[in-house]
Amino acid sequence: MPFKQFFSWLKNLFGSRQSFSLGLYGNVNAGKSTLANRISKDWSGEEMSSVSEMPHETREVIKKERLAVKVDGKILTMNLLDMPGIATKVDYRDFIKRGMKLPEAQNRAKEATKGIIEAIKWLEHVDAAMLVMDSCEDPYTQVNITILGNLEARKIPVIIVANKIDKKNAKPERIKAAFPQHHLVEISALKGENMDKLYRAIAQYAKG
Amino acid sequence: MGIEIQFIASDKLRDKTPPQKVQFILDHIKKSKNRILVIEGSLSSSDEKELISKTMAAIDKSFPGIEVASVGEQSSTLKTQLIKLLGGKPSGLTVVGPSSLVKQIKKDPDKLSLLTGK
Ligand SMILES: Nc1nc2c(ncn2[C@@H]2O[C@H](COP(=O)(O)OP(=O)(O)O)[C@@H](O)[C@H]2O)c(=O)[nH]1
Ligand SMILES: [Mg+2]
Repeated sequence: MPFKQFFSWLKNLFGSRQSFSLGLYGNVNAGKSTLANRISKDWSGEEMSSVSEMPHETREVIKKERLAVKVDGKILTMNLLDMPGIATKVDYRDFIKRGMKLPEAQNRAKEATKGIIEAIKWLEHVDAAMLVMDSCEDPYTQVNITILGNLEARKIPVIIVANKIDKKNAKPERIKAAFPQHHLVEISALKGENMDKLYRAIAQYAKG
Repeated sequence: MGIEIQFIASDKLRDKTPPQKVQFILDHIKKSKNRILVIEGSLSSSDEKELISKTMAAIDKSFPGIEVASVGEQSSTLKTQLIKLLGGKPSGLTVVGPSSLVKQIKKDPDKLSLLTGK
């Protein structure tokens, strides 16, 4: 049989066991690392990332490889990638305002800018993505629009995660209204709310 | 503090390659802290991606980065005035500049016309 057909036959044969990479994208402080930890803890017993109120806590791509996620009796093997939050601006003075010393703040800013470039490069290499948004914030940001536009252009499947629904002022319906064409799951990564819905969505929409 | 607004008509960017386009925008932004670029039309998502990457590479003590916003669709006053100014067809506007200024404009696009003194 022709090579291409042979290849797709192989892919089907091993499809269920093949791993795929799932990138966690979004604005700074949306809760990507909290979600990465929640998923990793659920399926491996260990956390993977550092979480902080301080912006740009994640400054390089953190990988958890071959995470076996069980959904409705089926096992999905994924490489989970916790990305640095994307921003159009990184001002070291913001870290100083939050109590950091000058050299540390400047260093953090430098690392953050490199992390953002790395996260953007990875946009072309992930098999699927979750775009995490803080449900208390205006979803219509340039960062969200840019990430979505690039994923769409490459036909990379994406799930929108409306996070922090445990907060009183959360308005996940705003996110739904802003991006009606995408599948959306409302969760609290912190409290572990609706994680079953999220795993089902990953099985259904993300695994290409 | 005077605010400097620079209008860029779409034909100024049309013949540039994406990296040239992004470099052009950044070069103009970096010239002054109080400058806002108002670009006719919208940037493509790959242009925006390129703009963010190039901005990150250019950040240092004196340049903290930019803010980008698409405005114009919502505001009729602003639209008619700027379209006249630019002499072009309406297709939205992209505002690039220092964070605080662009945030104000995004919230209230008519401010842009106030700032231009028209
Ligand atoms: N209330 C609430 N806070 C959250 C939730 N998820 C994350 N956070 C908080 O938001 C802040 C940023 O979280 P982090 O995971 O580091 O965000 P990242 O920058 O997107 O990785 C931390 O203080 C988290 O505790 C959530 O579901 N609910
Ligand atoms: Mg993080």
